[in-house]
Amino acid sequence: MNILVLIKQVPEIEKVRFDYEKGRLDRSSAGAIINPFDLNALEAAVQIKEKTGGSVTAISMGPMQAVDALRDALARGADKAILLSDERFAGADTLATAYTLASAIRKLGAFDLIICGEKTIDGDTGQVGPEVAELLGIPHVAYVEEIRQICSDKIVVGARMERNKYIIELRLPGLITVTKDLNNPRLPTLRDKLRAMRAEITVWSYKDLNEEDALQYFGLNGSPTRVIRVYTPAAEKRKSQVLSGTAPEVAQKIVQILRESGVLG
Amino acid sequence: MGDFSVNLENLISDLRRIVGDKWVVTQREFMEGYLRDETPDPVRPRAAEGLILVKPSSAEDVAGILKLANANKVPVFPVGGRTGLVGGSVPIKPGIILSLERMNKIEVDRENIMAVAEAGATLGDLIKAADEAGLFFPPHPGDEGAQIGGLIATNAGGSRAVKYGVMRNYIRGLEIVLPTGEILSLGGKLLKNNTGYDLMQLAIGCEGTLCVITKAVIRLFPKSKVMVTLVVPFNTRSDALKTVPEILRSGVMPLAIEYVQIREIEEAAKHLNERWPVQRGFAQLIMILDGASQEEMLLRCEEISEICESNSAMDIMLAETAEEQSRILRIRSNIYTALKPHMIDILDVTVPPSNLEKLMNEVDVIAAKYDVYLPAYGHAGDGNLHVHIMKEGVTDMRMADRIKSEIYKAAVALGGVITGEHGVGSLRIKDLGLVLSEKHIEIMESIKRIFDPNNILNPNKVLP
Amino acid sequence: MSDECSFCGVLIFAEQEDGEIHKVTYELLGKGRVLADRLGKNLCAVLLGYGLDDEARELIYYGADKVFLFDHPSLKDFDIVRYKQNIVRLVNEVKPDIFLIGATRIGRSLAPRIAASLKTGLTADCVDLDLDNEGNLVQIRPAFSGNIMAQIKTRTKPQMATVRYKVMKMSIRDPARRGGVVEMKVEPVKNTGMKILEKEKADEVNISEAEIIVAAGRGVKSPEDLRLFKELADLLGGVVGSSRPLVDAGWIGKEHQVGFSGNTVKPRVYMAFGISGSPQHLFGMRYSDIIIAVNKDPTAPMLNFSDYYVIGDLYEILPQLIHEIRKVRCVEK
Repeated sequence: MNILVLIKQVPEIEKVRFDYEKGRLDRSSAGAIINPFDLNALEAAVQIKEKTGGSVTAISMGPMQAVDALRDALARGADKAILLSDERFAGADTLATAYTLASAIRKLGAFDLIICGEKTIDGDTGQVGPEVAELLGIPHVAYVEEIRQICSDKIVVGARMERNKYIIELRLPGLITVTKDLNNPRLPTLRDKLRAMRAEITVWSYKDLNEEDALQYFGLNGSPTRVIRVYTPAAEKRKSQVLSGTAPEVAQKIVQILRESGVLG
Repeated sequence: MGDFSVNLENLISDLRRIVGDKWVVTQREFMEGYLRDETPDPVRPRAAEGLILVKPSSAEDVAGILKLANANKVPVFPVGGRTGLVGGSVPIKPGIILSLERMNKIEVDRENIMAVAEAGATLGDLIKAADEAGLFFPPHPGDEGAQIGGLIATNAGGSRAVKYGVMRNYIRGLEIVLPTGEILSLGGKLLKNNTGYDLMQLAIGCEGTLCVITKAVIRLFPKSKVMVTLVVPFNTRSDALKTVPEILRSGVMPLAIEYVQIREIEEAAKHLNERWPVQRGFAQLIMILDGASQEEMLLRCEEISEICESNSAMDIMLAETAEEQSRILRIRSNIYTALKPHMIDILDVTVPPSNLEKLMNEVDVIAAKYDVYLPAYGHAGDGNLHVHIMKEGVTDMRMADRIKSEIYKAAVALGGVITGEHGVGSLRIKDLGLVLSEKHIEIMESIKRIFDPNNILNPNKVLP
Repeated sequence: MSDECSFCGVLIFAEQEDGEIHKVTYELLGKGRVLADRLGKNLCAVLLGYGLDDEARELIYYGADKVFLFDHPSLKDFDIVRYKQNIVRLVNEVKPDIFLIGATRIGRSLAPRIAASLKTGLTADCVDLDLDNEGNLVQIRPAFSGNIMAQIKTRTKPQMATVRYKVMKMSIRDPARRGGVVEMKVEPVKNTGMKILEKEKADEVNISEAEIIVAAGRGVKSPEDLRLFKELADLLGGVVGSSRPLVDAGWIGKEHQVGFSGNTVKPRVYMAFGISGSPQHLFGMRYSDIIIAVNKDPTAPMLNFSDYYVIGDLYEILPQLIHEIRKVRCVEK
């Protein structure tokens, strides 16, 4: 089985500080990591490979430093890694990103299954996976939290929507996006990590994608959405009335508020 | 509260005058949380009746309270975050519970790379304050809800002591209040100080029996840029433990070298609804390393890996992301919580690191002799072993005591002590003689009398 | 048909599962109505499923001028490919300026496929929508865990957005409202590449719908203590909520998580115990009617964002509150 995993390098969001006075993000203390949801995608791919044989290829679009995320993917069991990096890819929104990834996937040729994380922690849209599926004309299931069965031409997955969990048989080639509930990503071994640090990573630029006269679909050009303004949400302060007193007094005051609001008695 | 030389009403109103009406609590139901610590239920001393909870806001308040208590010979029990494991803060006599939780200010002095923290600030507060100032408090001496005062009074250790030492190594100055009401300032923002007997070192680790710590000057460090965690599974305990001194000798100094066995660590993971990431081997070492860059880090890891492999490590797993590392730590620190409901006592015997394996083998012999399960894990780099005495198979407290005694004796015979971390508190008093000479105990008693002539401060803790 | 539809300014996706309309739909109708009126155009809804005549009429009561109904057995359950194909066909016919979809799991699966098929822009998880002077849609969405907000415009049509549930105001039902239900011809697609083999009810806590939430934060010392929260929540007929650290620590399930990366909630009363109030948490509960916070730390941001606050130990207040409410309940009986 030939599996592709789409990954993204993201900042360690926990360490991104927000400077409220200056109104900007300080990423200086935040390292770059592989998007945590992508680890579940990669783990799923490696588990399938271990069962059925085949190969796992990690693909990422990003600046050159995103090779680190791909090296991490190699350490965690991917066999091959491809970085799509070109100034002309920069400034892409989800549609242009999906277009670039789909274009690289077409160039790669035959594949059976594409796995993506549910979303990225920085963009938080969850749109790229389904958009890639649409551009490639293959079916997809999002929010997969269980893989029940896989064979050469189909995969049976469980995905929860709003009211129900659905067990869906998906024809291959197809695409799934996976949640953190699907699996526990393994830790890489030190040996694999060191091997990955020295591995070759294929880098493809716009030219390598063999798209003729398609520049308008890539990067900023290919992005129909534009961020026009970024701002700090106005802190909507409330009346902040202090309830003071001993614990029983405070409790009685809260009870009074609950009564007045009609949720009690 | 009959044995006080004071009328209770008067005492309460005097206390109210010192700290304000709101901060004197007399109703039992509002002090429930202050009556116990984290000591396992079967061995935890019970709180006395007739207690008053007082929450001062300054060293002057504390001095006023202690003066009053001393004059009336009322016992005072200082409490912090109540995360202790030897009943050290449990108010076992009628008296005053002194909680410094309102005194929780922290100021970071970036010039001197130190923090000045009031005793009621929590470890979590300190870590956060240091981080916000771009600095770092390297040891991790326990639960983040623990308070600075308690951490110092118990000289808390934790897992990062291998490289960064224990609480004592970080304290440069203290403000303390004596049971007789005087406020003393010891040390300061100083890295060197040889002026007279160092009373500060006596206050550190006094378990609240000599003085009340109200403020501390704490040394901080620059942040390490990169941190990684290694998990190394081994087939046998012996393979894992003989690796430890070799690593320590290699010059690669991990922050922590933790020894766990798969059964307990999986139990802890299950307790948290998680899965332990390395499901191999009988024994595992968890090592945390820090360094200036990823390259440096990986070089060190390689060095460690060679040592591990020469001792038949099955594999070496690497956690690099903050998320993966904190998951590993979280599971490790929850072994205690996972086992707690089934536990009678947790021991923290400590031996010279090279004797740890022998100690563990002794523990196995004791377990076999009594036919009980004695889960053991610990800070391998420090020779500090946590052995749990579990309810299963233990018929009564006398049997638990015998098991405990045998473990203590085994540790002492190997050049160790009965507690390396948790302290004496209420639980270890009767076994002090296993480690300390009569003369030693006598000197301790004399010191206690000098500080606390009326024996009002945390009475019947540490010393009988 | 293209004639009568030429004025479809705003199209919304009416989401249903098991024949029941998801409430985010009424929120989309609420916002969509405002936008359509400002554009001077119609508000339309597209509904796919089977046997949904009544539901289609409901959409009109809730503000739709026109409902495009794709009613067919093959559309009974959510099939991304079938839904997408029918919707794309409709959009190409009626050419709405704006197309809104709920940011539910169904919506977030479906919207990107439609957008990619139409080669148009899509903004995820909007919390507000506005129009600029030219009548272009201004989409407002949070970024970086809710720390900042971004305004986004789309230069292609339709301007598509998914909209976060429990943020916009629901429209008011008016059974006197009139509008047209347009029965659409469904082109049955035989094999879409996906087949639903089973359907299991996911009975989980639905915190988004809760009227009262008793929420726990980092101030809670051990997982066993959550029992107190459950007790209070049960007494009040509410649900236990949680900030992220407890979920990350595995103490409570993700379905209880309130915040940017969890659920957005809008209860009548939100009680926050031991929650400091990170932007990421505030993001999820700031639309609550009344917020009561209990925190030991007088500098906790939560206190500024609450209507009432108590500086104190949750371990003292919470048992006492349970005690007081018990008393009230007993008196009632």
